[in-house]
Amino acid sequence: MPKSQVVSIHPVTRIEGQARVDIHLDESGRVSDARVAISALRGFEQFVIGRPAEEIPRIVSRICGICPWMHHLAAVKAVDGCFGAVPPPTGQLLRELCQVIAHIHDKILHFFFLAAPDFVLGPDGDYSVRNIMGLVRQEPELAARVARMRQLGQAMLARFAGKSIHPVAGVAGGFSKPMLETERRELAADALVLLDFASFALDYAKRSVFSRFREELQSLGAITTGFLGAVDAQGNLRLYDGLLRLMRPDGSWVDFPASDYERHLAEQVEPWSYAKMVYAKSWGEGFSLNPAAPMGVYRVNTLARLNVCDQVATPRAQAELEDFRAQFGRPAQGTLLYHWARLIELVYACERTVELLADERITDPLVRTPAESKAGRGIGHVEAPRGTLIHDYSTDDNGCITRANLIVGTTHNIAPMNLSVRQAAASLICDGEVSESILNRIEMAIRAYDP
Amino acid sequence: MCLAIPMQVVAIQGGSDELLDPEVALVESDGVRKQIRLEMADRVPAVGEYVIIHAGFAIRTLTEEEAEYNLSLMRQMAEVLEREGRLPEAPQ
Repeated sequence: MPKSQVVSIHPVTRIEGQARVDIHLDESGRVSDARVAISALRGFEQFVIGRPAEEIPRIVSRICGICPWMHHLAAVKAVDGCFGAVPPPTGQLLRELCQVIAHIHDKILHFFFLAAPDFVLGPDGDYSVRNIMGLVRQEPELAARVARMRQLGQAMLARFAGKSIHPVAGVAGGFSKPMLETERRELAADALVLLDFASFALDYAKRSVFSRFREELQSLGAITTGFLGAVDAQGNLRLYDGLLRLMRPDGSWVDFPASDYERHLAEQVEPWSYAKMVYAKSWGEGFSLNPAAPMGVYRVNTLARLNVCDQVATPRAQAELEDFRAQFGRPAQGTLLYHWARLIELVYACERTVELLADERITDPLVRTPAESKAGRGIGHVEAPRGTLIHDYSTDDNGCITRANLIVGTTHNIAPMNLSVRQAAASLICDGEVSESILNRIEMAIRAYDP
Repeated sequence: MCLAIPMQVVAIQGGSDELLDPEVALVESDGVRKQIRLEMADRVPAVGEYVIIHAGFAIRTLTEEEAEYNLSLMRQMAEVLEREGRLPEAPQ
């Protein structure tokens, strides 16, 4: 009689870093458990204690260099809060502009370089070709266009906000420099190029990619959870600011300012996981990863944001949201729908970039109000590509950090990722047979979350 | 996933064709050498410079000086955890 065994996927091929998936099989070869362990940021909260708060936005972008702009801006907002600084409208607009442009680059990377090869070449493809080079050979024109677009967003940021490697442009009280009219005109022209590409990318994906995976979109790694994202007072999708909206699996929701996050969310460390997990405390059901009856589990990132918003305030993305909802409902639960939602957000980020650059206030020279170091508490929130990002700092009379707490996007999604992997593994593996193709599909369920 | 640990480039390979044979960076860490794609990087790094890697792609290039500063911040962070006896283990 075969013994129980553990099958590990490590490292998950294109989900690099310290991710690891363990699939536990019982004596009969059925999945008894599956776990995703992901190492996330640890130690930063202790490391910053005693440092001057205004240094943190510049330091965090060096440590959390995968999404430097997101951490930079969440940090700068938290420092605003500690010092009671209120940036002038143009300071906020310039920060938002940098943030939405950073989203564009990230979404192109994720979809075309990490996700598309699975879809275009199929999960049964050999891994040696199931990557961007396989895509290049199969779709050379598309790959050439992606290659031309890939750096445009980064180049736009570098031209205006200084080197994009480690952002320093956000400062307590606003932004470090105003935008010149010549800069605005050049950036606006580039933004239209990106918007065209974004619309093309979504059309391409709907026509040639998602249409071939109708069933998987709804079934692979499918779980039922709540969702968390940000909206403005009218319920429009927001990335830079807004209220947090926590939606239950049944679609009902509550809105609250990010500064109230501790009343709604709680953190927990499971012994087998390297990273903390977050759950919806305010639902009053506790936290459980029992696949038959998960409790307190919600998701963040693209699909979550599109589920929680009532509408999107830009026309092309709104038309796409309507089409998406007509097909998948609200809230849509299919895990692979993260990819579709990611491309709708790409269209939104491009439209919002065009809109911000057309706002006549964007070149106003008043971009910063003086900020004085003092004791206080500030909670900075932005919607990062990987989900809701919260920086929470307290300062002493000298403006030095006395306490810090961070919740990063991936942390919210670790619990649902575990459920999705368990679901995918249990539905694909029987009799202990674990083929390459099955492992690839399990990876796809994780990759949708873009950990 | 969030830590942007810089990896030093020990060689640049390929480059005969922009699309079909693009330049890739060979990086080394703990004696393990690995090819890293550069399609998403801001520029092609020189040998001796560093790259930040996300999901197998270099997403940013750092000069040696920038990378050393970043690494020193990370070392300080690890020291704080170590002092508190909280240096985390790799995932079990």
